[in-house]
Amino acid sequence: MTAALPVLIVLTSLVPACVTFFLAQDSHRLRNGLNLSGAVLKLALIVWMLFAVAGGASYEATLPLAPGLVILLRVDALALLFISLSAALWFATTIYAIAYFGKKAELSRFFGFFSLCVAATTGLALSGSLISFFIFFELLTLSTWPLVAHKQDKPSLAAARAYLAYALPGSAALLWAIIWLESATGPVLFTDPPDLSVLEPGALRAIFALFIIGVGVKAALVPLHGWLPAAMAAPAPVSALLHAVAVVKAGAFGVVRVIYDVFGAGNVVALGVGWPLAVLASVTILWGSLRALQQDEIKKRLAYSTVSQVSYIILGAALASPLAMIGGLVHLIHQGLMKITLFFCAGIYDERAGVKKITGLNGMGRRLPWTSVCFSLGAMGMIGLPPMAGFVSKFYLGLGGLQAGAPWVLGVLAASTLLNAAYFLPLLYRLWVLPAPEDAKGDERAPGLVVPAVVTAAASLGVGLLAASPISPLSWATLIVTREYGP
Amino acid sequence: MTALYSGTFLPLGVLVWPLLVGLVAMVVWSRGALWVLPLAPVPALGFVVAGAPGSVVVPDLLLGVHLGIVPGGALLLGMTALVWTVAGMHAALTLRAGPQAAVFAGFWCVTLAGNLGVFLAGDIVTFYLAFAAVSLAAWFLVIHERTQKALAAGRQYITLAVLGEAALLVGLMIGAAAAEDLHIASVRAALVDAPLGPLGVAALVLGFGIKAGMVPLHLWLPVAHPAAPVPGSAVLSGAIVNAGLIGMMLFVPDGTGWGDVLVAAGLVGGFGAALWGLTQRNPKAVLAYSTISQMGLMLMLVGAGSAGVAYYAFHHGLAKAALFLCVGVMAAAQTPRQRGATLGLVVLVALSVAGLPLTGGGVAKLAGKQGLPDALSLVLTLSSMTTTLVLVWFVLRLAQAPAPPLAPSPLWRSLFAGAAVLGGLALVAPWAVWGHATGLPTGYPAQPANMFAGIWPLLAGLGAAALIPGQRLPEYPPGDILALLRWRGGGWSGRAGAARSAAPRRHWRRAVLRALLHVRRLETHMRPWPRAGWVLIVTALTFSGLVLWTL
Amino acid sequence: MSALVAVLTLPLVAALGVFVVPARLRVPMALASAAMITGAALALCVTVARGGPVMLMAGGWAPPIGIALRADGLAAALIIMTALVMGAVTCAAWFEASPARAGPRMAFGFWPLMLLLWGALNAVYLSRDLFNLYVGLELISLAAVALAALSGTAQAFAAALRYMIFALAGSLLYLAGVVLAYAAHGTLDIGLLTARTPAQGDALALGLMTAGLLAKTALFPFHVWLPPAHASAPAPASALLSALVPKASFLILMRLWFEAMPDLATPAALLALAVPGAAAVLWGGVLALVQKRLKLIIAYSTVAQLGYMFLVFPLAGGGGAAQPWAAGAWTGAVFHALSHGLAKAAMFLAAGIYIAAVGSDRLGDLRGLARALPMTGFAFALAAITLMGLPPSGGFTAKYLLMTSAFAAGQWPWALLLAGGGLLAAGYFYRPMVALFARDARVPLLRSIPRAWQSVPLVLAVLSIMLGLLSATPFDLLQVGRPPPASEGL
Repeated sequence: MTAALPVLIVLTSLVPACVTFFLAQDSHRLRNGLNLSGAVLKLALIVWMLFAVAGGASYEATLPLAPGLVILLRVDALALLFISLSAALWFATTIYAIAYFGKKAELSRFFGFFSLCVAATTGLALSGSLISFFIFFELLTLSTWPLVAHKQDKPSLAAARAYLAYALPGSAALLWAIIWLESATGPVLFTDPPDLSVLEPGALRAIFALFIIGVGVKAALVPLHGWLPAAMAAPAPVSALLHAVAVVKAGAFGVVRVIYDVFGAGNVVALGVGWPLAVLASVTILWGSLRALQQDEIKKRLAYSTVSQVSYIILGAALASPLAMIGGLVHLIHQGLMKITLFFCAGIYDERAGVKKITGLNGMGRRLPWTSVCFSLGAMGMIGLPPMAGFVSKFYLGLGGLQAGAPWVLGVLAASTLLNAAYFLPLLYRLWVLPAPEDAKGDERAPGLVVPAVVTAAASLGVGLLAASPISPLSWATLIVTREYGP
Repeated sequence: MTALYSGTFLPLGVLVWPLLVGLVAMVVWSRGALWVLPLAPVPALGFVVAGAPGSVVVPDLLLGVHLGIVPGGALLLGMTALVWTVAGMHAALTLRAGPQAAVFAGFWCVTLAGNLGVFLAGDIVTFYLAFAAVSLAAWFLVIHERTQKALAAGRQYITLAVLGEAALLVGLMIGAAAAEDLHIASVRAALVDAPLGPLGVAALVLGFGIKAGMVPLHLWLPVAHPAAPVPGSAVLSGAIVNAGLIGMMLFVPDGTGWGDVLVAAGLVGGFGAALWGLTQRNPKAVLAYSTISQMGLMLMLVGAGSAGVAYYAFHHGLAKAALFLCVGVMAAAQTPRQRGATLGLVVLVALSVAGLPLTGGGVAKLAGKQGLPDALSLVLTLSSMTTTLVLVWFVLRLAQAPAPPLAPSPLWRSLFAGAAVLGGLALVAPWAVWGHATGLPTGYPAQPANMFAGIWPLLAGLGAAALIPGQRLPEYPPGDILALLRWRGGGWSGRAGAARSAAPRRHWRRAVLRALLHVRRLETHMRPWPRAGWVLIVTALTFSGLVLWTL
Repeated sequence: MSALVAVLTLPLVAALGVFVVPARLRVPMALASAAMITGAALALCVTVARGGPVMLMAGGWAPPIGIALRADGLAAALIIMTALVMGAVTCAAWFEASPARAGPRMAFGFWPLMLLLWGALNAVYLSRDLFNLYVGLELISLAAVALAALSGTAQAFAAALRYMIFALAGSLLYLAGVVLAYAAHGTLDIGLLTARTPAQGDALALGLMTAGLLAKTALFPFHVWLPPAHASAPAPASALLSALVPKASFLILMRLWFEAMPDLATPAALLALAVPGAAAVLWGGVLALVQKRLKLIIAYSTVAQLGYMFLVFPLAGGGGAAQPWAAGAWTGAVFHALSHGLAKAAMFLAAGIYIAAVGSDRLGDLRGLARALPMTGFAFALAAITLMGLPPSGGFTAKYLLMTSAFAAGQWPWALLLAGGGLLAAGYFYRPMVALFARDARVPLLRSIPRAWQSVPLVLAVLSIMLGLLSATPFDLLQVGRPPPASEGL
């Protein structure tokens, strides 16, 4: 059973993916049922494992390829943090996507790749060795590409091309880093950090840089972020998936893995590579926000906001102090919940009211109240207002920055707060204060779209409000840091 | 499994009740939304009357919520609850019902909860939450009328409020990191010695100073107060500014030099703002400058370590709210008698604020002087002059306010009653808590020296005011520095980013394509057999040679 | 033992057989013999994997008098890969080349040529004698040139002729080298040559043989014959030409350098082998980027992919205590040969389906075909993944092993080439993929493509992925009878 469980958890999305590809276009019920039951099953398995892992259990499954090339799936606390997010949000996004697409064309292809993407994310989260991490990382790239290109119109195809043009060199860099490291130390397992003393510090720094380039493309670190705003051409559920569940998160998760499980926080500090990464993350945070300020398309603004927010996670990991790491890890969850809410809402505005631009939001609060409340909650969380989730991460990051002896982090956080306010508050202002134009229309008679948004918005409020409770993401992140990376 | 909470539930109830009321107003009963407003502060009133008993710890909420009355908070909490109750009544009577009113009511309650919360919070996260609530939700009170003026004022308000939030967060984080604890007391203590302590306190002073209208961070205040509806201005000026004050009291540590900064800023505000108020025409703007002036005096008291800050603020809150409400009462007055009665009330309350001996304001000034160096005591005494001046100007402006259009008569009575209750309390209530709050004998205010110190600056001020009608006072728009600089908020409505021209990129792409085609042409040159044959033979010989020579 | 004999003789017998049987029995007979040979190949593999290398002395005479055949892991792996590709090509040709549609030349000529090629390939894989290898090579060239010319167009004839000239020149150089070696040592058996006393002419002999084999393997800059020849042949023939034929001459190169004369390998010579390989990766990749026809893209991709295999020469032996495996580069190169064979055959067969469906392989004409022929599109995509070296395909395993060796050997620039080549591959396969998966209106197909036909390339492509996913077994197989320099380095 201990070996079967990780495999089973990957299969809960891999099997629906494989079957969905071969379903006829019009067998909506079967397809939806399949995907939803996969999602439910996965959630159930994860909840079960959460309790087991909190009690100290661990699960492991291996599939040897060539010698040294081992696919190792291992459930540890960090992996669980990530898959519980992706599983929960996958479920929400599936419901949303079913309602969003209705009976449009090419749905078998869409849901097939959709589930495949989640399977890849799950595998990536569960990977216990560098090489299996890489394998799932690539699978994720490949399964996301058709999703970005799904509409198959010009902007989508251009976006998909940009995505590959960034992602493939990124994975080449990642592979290079992995092989360079492993050729000196042998295969790297996350449970068993490699002995880095066999390599020169210079080489180690180069390897670290390559790792960061590799995963940084997915995490949209400036200047590797160009693909993310372009990918806005994709349908809303895909954006939600890209920004909150899978791709960007996988990159950030990769940074955490590299710093804590491959190099080890101590080595990162000793090599002097932590602070340049922290600076890069800070630049990303500010740059993303500045660019967001200049966008007048809702989804573009949100995309740049993701660029900025995801680097909080990287900042937390790079600072390498316990509190910063808690802040970074918990932001993995918090950002996911808030951003998916925002994208759900952006999709509803587009779908139900035909609004894509910021100017169209005037007076929307009256016509689409539930959506607008959710959007406002998500935006407030992004700004970092208490008691929303974003505040908790920001607070821990700031404390962690001070703990790591980097007080300038406070400046970055403060500037980011201001910038976030500067690009989110005008949206709220339009939603609630400005009057609607005469010919405004739109309603929210689409429970499949609105309910997921409400649930995720409530969750992002709840995880902030109950941050200190033993079942909150914050407590889980604290458990990870104290148990696995503690002194 | 730990208990959900420990201690008495009361302080939490005080905060949760307004939120529930707000939810009812916004979602359930939006038609009568405004009528629930007076109910929202009731538990808080009861809590204070009962002596603010008990505290509560909710470990699961946020990062562990600690609630209990803060030092000096009971008076402020009671005053806040009173002001909000009466202002809520005023709002219910004057504002138009409708969906907009529901939004107003909802945010009114959130602001109220935050305002009460800053006096109850025992840990910095709860405090920050409360402060953010009172700060940001009040935006909706400012912009309620949705006029151009109100929206512009709202922009300035929210910009500075968000700036304050960010500064506050930085300061609190520095304190928490130094204290390794979230309790306000330990954070305050840790800020003294922490290496980043000065920066932390500076950030805190910035954050609280914005809220408290500390010069030069007061810019939003004279713009926002006149723009808000009357009950909104009343709570802004009477109650909400005190959130900044309590922050200063709770967090700025003694003996770090920051006290002097507060004293200096307070002095500038205390006198400068009062005089600048004379350049205003709108009575509410005049009052707003008076508030800045009074807050300046209170900041000076905080900085100098006076024992009577809370007591002073208690009186000022009640009185200033009453004065603001009187602006609304005046607007509803139809007959000369009603106008006269209103003006009478205003004069009474204004005299109290100016520090007429034996009124609430007079005793508040005496309490404020406790623990103050002599020079600053004198300054406080002198401030009555400028206060008198600006309030006389306010009374004159109010008296000249145009007579309003007809409104139902019973309305005035109710409004007047509310304002009178607050004004009366401002005059009397300080007496009621005098001994309890200051520990001085009841006869102390009636001592001749104190009587004299109260009366002469007042008379001097009145004398100076007598010159006003002959003068042509300059007129400036509210917002002094801000308005003078004609500052424009940029990037507000999300201007489109400059579209990057696609031309150079396309050009670059074409160059690459051309290079690729060159490569293809090169391929055809390699194809003819003679060339390939030569290459083949050369290769064979190269290999042989390489093996031979290097073996 | 019997499996070895069967693998060698069955194709030749079948090739003769299809000449004589009546026309309607021709295809069934080809199919039946393909099945039998594949069975024999499987049996041989199992034997080798279980019991080590299988030796066969012709007539019981030991070398130098007799001729030795030996099936080691390398040979067995290539044999099974050849059998899989041949089996698939047989099925595809069965669907494609029915006499009614593809003229009599194709309908008649393809089967014996294919079987002849099969026999010759197996002979080359198994031979331990340099002259025997020459004969095998000549047979391969003969069959391959004929296959290239099979479509009968003027273009195809010109391309085939150029191919033949290169092949003949290569053979001549190789033969000259063989003669020199024989003159010096009196034997051509690889095993005996390993233990020879070094002689004066060895270097020249090796140089001549190497140059000849490079021309046959179409390594840059001798690749000029390959793209036109592969592109103008009928699709099943292209699959054979691209996936299998260059592998035979490459195998001989490996036998020469790793087994017969490893003592002659100097760093400069190894570099001289690898540098054209690197150039091929870049040159082929860049040229594939600018082609307009699908088959030309695939053919130039072959040029590029062949280049990778030559990196084995400087990288072999790179490794160290840190790695849990030995002979990483050597195994990686063979893995690359195997996965490239499977994937490239899948790709050409997919191209064949497209040509059958729309009568052209111009990218513009292929737009939106993935909707009409989803399985083929899927197969093409999977094959592209293998060729780009993305996990978890066989191409990835190969790339991983080669790259690890590059770092372990301290020659990291080769790793850069491996990574860059993968990106180039992504670049040149991107265009056909976008064309295939475009949202254009459904094109009317010239003929309906049965699902069975569509599944043929899919099976091959899936196999190339499975090679990575289940790489432990082939990895172990390759280690059977591995020459010592593979792990110790040249």
